[in-house]
Amino acid sequence: MPRAIRGVLIECDPSIKSIIVAIDNESDHAYVVEELDDQTLVVKENMLTSLKMKLDDKLKDTQIQPDESDLD
Amino acid sequence: MSVSTSASFEYLERLPGVTFRRLYQQPSTALAIFRRMLPHLAKTFVMALLYMTRPLPLTDLDSWVQPNSKRERDQALSLLSRLHIVTITAPSRDDPQTVTLTSNFGSSLRLALTGGGEHQSFGVPSHNALANMDAAFLDDYARDQWEGILHYVVSSVAENRGHGGDGPTASVKHLLEVGKLVTKGKFTGGGITQAGFSFLLQEVNAQVWTMLLLWIENAEQMGLDSVEVLSFLFMLGSLELGRAYSTSTLSESQRQMLTYLVDFGLVYVPSTGTTQFYPTRLATTLTSDATALRSVSAGFDAALTAASGAKGFIIIETNYRLYAYTSSPLQIAVLALFTRLGTRYPNMVSGRITRDSVARAISHGITSDQIISYLGTHAHPQLVKVASASGNPVLPPTVVDQIRLWQIENERMKATPGFLFRDFDNLKEYEACVRYADEIGVLTWKSDAKRMFFVTRHEQLRDYIKSRKGK
Repeated sequence: MPRAIRGVLIECDPSIKSIIVAIDNESDHAYVVEELDDQTLVVKENMLTSLKMKLDDKLKDTQIQPDESDLD
Repeated sequence: MSVSTSASFEYLERLPGVTFRRLYQQPSTALAIFRRMLPHLAKTFVMALLYMTRPLPLTDLDSWVQPNSKRERDQALSLLSRLHIVTITAPSRDDPQTVTLTSNFGSSLRLALTGGGEHQSFGVPSHNALANMDAAFLDDYARDQWEGILHYVVSSVAENRGHGGDGPTASVKHLLEVGKLVTKGKFTGGGITQAGFSFLLQEVNAQVWTMLLLWIENAEQMGLDSVEVLSFLFMLGSLELGRAYSTSTLSESQRQMLTYLVDFGLVYVPSTGTTQFYPTRLATTLTSDATALRSVSAGFDAALTAASGAKGFIIIETNYRLYAYTSSPLQIAVLALFTRLGTRYPNMVSGRITRDSVARAISHGITSDQIISYLGTHAHPQLVKVASASGNPVLPPTVVDQIRLWQIENERMKATPGFLFRDFDNLKEYEACVRYADEIGVLTWKSDAKRMFFVTRHEQLRDYIKSRKGK
């Protein structure tokens, strides 16, 4: 008998996916419902906003923002 | 257009079947749903079924559709049954599947198209009218009311609060807060929300629907009957601009509703006589179909911009500098949502689209396409002229591409809410379900190797799986 599971399908780059999986591992698997392949996974619907915030936090450390203040 | 349609769709699809049966007792509702909500193929089906006395076998209906358009057929039929317009009998071994129009919808649509009956659902013109109202006056009135609301939404974020006019009434303000278009919370800086931002950038008709749906959801809590409320709205859409209509045939809750519609600028009630009301252009374009809407809303846009000068006022250069020839606080506030404004002159503001300003807009829920289409529709005539002379696109391609790139940069993942189907017993069952999901247009992802797939809605698929089990 097939089962239906409610969730949010996330499609992203493999690099982002691995970060999401890392976040999930850190927080006792509170986010991911099912890993589908290296670019898609299903997460819990009510955790999406929190996941986005954590992802942004992680990415802030890895990216360099170009300085735009002198362009005007 | 598409925004408003899908929003009202989703709301309607959530209603129970009983509500639909009551809604369809009104010819105006049946007609409005028919002309506004249905794609062409679905319309064709309805028209063909309209005067058919007996149920039509589904196989006969298939013969009207080319085999390679099976997908469109399934989508049309699934929409029709979701809106309770047709009933399709459950498949069984003895009888072939048949399709019929639901009786209320059928008889109401026939009444709407050919006339007759004492239903009064298209409004009753008032005969002792003072005079029929001038369309220009009603346009002005509707614009003032609606701009008042937009001003309120924008100025809740702008620095100079409370400029221009009295703003909307308290009930409208309350509605905007309930609908989370603006917030009052002082600690977050107050003001506009994500929903509010995308609300601002929608076209007028979509904005009106957003407000009305908010209001309907709210009205249920106030104890108003959603059927009466909806059928009143659908009736408004069939009225004629500039004519007086009588309030005497309205029900109590519809009369209550009228006061709110006055706040929105959808109807005008003259102060002297309370038994008449005039629908404005905002109301009469509610349920026009796509083509009619474009011209009508263009007419309305023209009316909206008449006061603030020329339609196009934005010049954008390849170096991301932006000059906007406007003094309207509303337009400037909208621009400030995604531009870093530098200088303001009496008739012009100048600024610059930067990575930060776009990122800020996107974090508020505005999409790059919304920004680009806003810039495109409000491009200065000079920009349009130069572009058409040299055969280039109106907006500099570098800027357009860069805005899109900035968005992608911030969108690390694409999220689609829905349902994951898994644990199929065998490959055959999996394949049949995937094919069905694809045909009704809900499939977003599948993996043949894992025998799993992801869909955006599951109700029909569940029925399908059950019916397969029954076989």
